[in-house]
Amino acid sequence: MSGCPGSRTIDFSEKTDLEGSETGKRPSQLRQWPIQMHLVSPQAPYFQGKDILLAADCTAFSLGDFHKDYLKGKSIGIACPKLDSDQEVYTEKIRALIDDAKINTLTVMIMQVPCCFGLAQIAKEGAEKASRKIPVKQVVVGLEGNILSEEWI
Amino acid sequence: MENVLNKEIKTIIDACPEVGRILDEYGIGCVPCSVGSCLLKDVVGIHNLDPQQEATLMYRIEKAIYPDRKVSEPVIDTTKKSAPKKITYSPSVRKLVDEHVLIKRLLALIPTIVDYIESSIKVDKDLVLKCVDFIRTYADKYHHMKEEDILFRYVDEKADIIQVMYKDHDTGRGYIRLVVEGAEKGDKALIKENMLAYRELLTQHIKKEDEILYPWIDRQLSTTQVGEMFRKCNEADASVGEELPKKYEKFICDLEEKFLQEVAK
Ligand SMILES: [Fe+2]
Ligand SMILES: [Fe+2]
Repeated sequence: MSGCPGSRTIDFSEKTDLEGSETGKRPSQLRQWPIQMHLVSPQAPYFQGKDILLAADCTAFSLGDFHKDYLKGKSIGIACPKLDSDQEVYTEKIRALIDDAKINTLTVMIMQVPCCFGLAQIAKEGAEKASRKIPVKQVVVGLEGNILSEEWI
Repeated sequence: MENVLNKEIKTIIDACPEVGRILDEYGIGCVPCSVGSCLLKDVVGIHNLDPQQEATLMYRIEKAIYPDRKVSEPVIDTTKKSAPKKITYSPSVRKLVDEHVLIKRLLALIPTIVDYIESSIKVDKDLVLKCVDFIRTYADKYHHMKEEDILFRYVDEKADIIQVMYKDHDTGRGYIRLVVEGAEKGDKALIKENMLAYRELLTQHIKKEDEILYPWIDRQLSTTQVGEMFRKCNEADASVGEELPKKYEKFICDLEEKFLQEVAK
């Protein structure tokens, strides 16, 4: 085991403990476009006064119930703290979301790999730069799509 | 078992004290409760035990109440996932917990203050009234009002546990009225009795809130409600001004300094 845990190869295709049901259709809970942090504008009407989810790109693919349990009722911005460039723009947008769009809460959802904590850092910095204060929650998703922790920070 | 679940906890414990001892083992301290009108099912639900513990607890209670009945082994409901054991409060609840810390610092000083009053020739009325002012303004107006006007509104206010909290707040106000009466009359015994009663009441009350009530409320709040409550609490704090908590923190620091020297003498 060596190298970056964020890009280490792991195969869990043999996983058998598949609880839950596959029946029924689940509607998308997405209520906006765009969603990528470089493309969204804090002035967009869908951010004003809302609960915001700042999700690392990989989280939505890992969590089986991402839409139902986490996206529902929230507006979203997505980003990858490992690969995206110009991330100081993200920090400034978080600040603007808090101060100008007067968002209600911010939930940062990241993967458990160390490089993903960079996104939580961006959220914290943005929140610290803002003059308004709001509750910020951190949700950490395990590589196999399980929730490892969920807490207000 | 179903009908036991819907009985008031005090009735159950009165009829079968063993149940009180079993609950105590699980950290559920219903025996000293002044009201005891919570239903057994709510008492167990509120404590958020893991499914294994909850099943075993219910099994033992049923065994204790009906020793002759053949009780089936505990069935574990694994679909009920309990929240992680480490308590992480939402931000406004966290602040209420922090406010408890300052209140507990006064409670810790009460025995020393009471001794001092008892041993001095004339009652130090000014000191008593300053403590009363802390209790009435900081603990009651600043802190309890946020609980009553904001926090408790997010859950069923008719729930027994909330009623117990209201009752504790009221009982405390009653004790403090008598402390004031004692100070006016120079009645040391009246001051002592009610200050100590207030200390005992609030110590238990704060423990219940930190460990049981607040986590229970937090588990029911949606993210949107957490944000809304945060805003309301901040507005309530802003309405009294930021000087108020600072003033009372300084009061406690000064009091600690005075009485720690008193003890050292
Ligand atoms: Fe209280
Ligand atoms: Fe309290």
